Amino acid sequence: MQQPQSFFEKLKGLMESSGVEKNFSKGDLLIREGEVEKHVYHVTSGLVRVFLLSEFEELTIRFGYQGSIINSLSSFITGKPSEFYIDAIRKTTVRMITREQLLALINESDENRQQYIHTIEIAVTQQIEREVDILTVSPQARLKRVLERSPNLFQEVPLKYIASYLRMTPETLSRVRNS
Amino acid sequence: MRTTNDQLINELLTITEASTAAVNKFRTLSVNELNYKKDDASWSVLECVEHLNLYGDFYLPEIEKRIALKKTASPSGTYKAGFLGNYFANLMKVQTGKIKKMKSPKDKNPAGSQLTATTLDRFLKQQALLTTLLNKALQTDLVRTKASISLTPFIKLRLGDTLRFFVYHIERHVAQAANVIAGKKQ
Repeated sequence: MQQPQSFFEKLKGLMESSGVEKNFSKGDLLIREGEVEKHVYHVTSGLVRVFLLSEFEELTIRFGYQGSIINSLSSFITGKPSEFYIDAIRKTTVRMITREQLLALINESDENRQQYIHTIEIAVTQQIEREVDILTVSPQARLKRVLERSPNLFQEVPLKYIASYLRMTPETLSRVRNS
Repeated sequence: MRTTNDQLINELLTITEASTAAVNKFRTLSVNELNYKKDDASWSVLECVEHLNLYGDFYLPEIEKRIALKKTASPSGTYKAGFLGNYFANLMKVQTGKIKKMKSPKDKNPAGSQLTATTLDRFLKQQALLTTLLNKALQTDLVRTKASISLTPFIKLRLGDTLRFFVYHIERHVAQAANVIAGKKQ
């Protein structure tokens, strides 16, 4: 019996058949603070970053590696203006669909609804894990946790964004890596 | 110079509002226009704004700290500038028409640094914080409260002069940025 397609596979399939392709140069924004997120993106090549902007710095929240599905999720769900920016760290291509298209996919069948619920459950557990990251005091421990999830972190992402994501200065990151 | 606290802060609030409005207009420009440099030695719009961001990184936390630690004596209502503070403030003040060229300290020179789409947004957030701090300053003794300068921690100016210097400095570079755009259009 054929394995049922996971929700992500169905989603990527929908994006491939009905989604809009968009190209971004390094540094281009996918969404800025204040805009309402109307799309969900599949990063088909390149790398994106979700971040918060304060008066003094950019705080990196999350990365969207090649193959990932990403967007400004709270804005997408609530319809409120996005608190976050998403930019392309490198030249990036995405396929994107709208919230309406996503909802149509979810409501297509009971199986899709079940799978979507499961996907959201996984996302929630990932958020909780990230919450623990932030609360972890030791920089070494914080780095270790993230490397367990993303072993290719240093090959994929420029150092300054890694330091911000790990909530440490680039100097501390250097020190922790070398110890 | 001699004035009242209210008059001083209100003047600075007005200038700040104008600087904010000017930079808000820059948001409609294209990336190419924002990065346009007349020549290698001149700054682009983004470089002007990033320069202001770098100053804000030092001065906004410093001003906020000093206001929080403010002298408890209530402000007398009259403001008199300090000698050095007045000199710095006047150095920055835009005289109608001309903007004199001035060298920037090396760590505040944005040329060559990575300027992004968020440079303008960050400046606007700093302006919002500055406006909040200026309003708090209405209740602060602007003579007896002192703030450090970015060049060295050993020199402190009257808070009133720090605010004048900071706001006039922003006005100056925003005007410089506006000139870059006006120049390009010719």
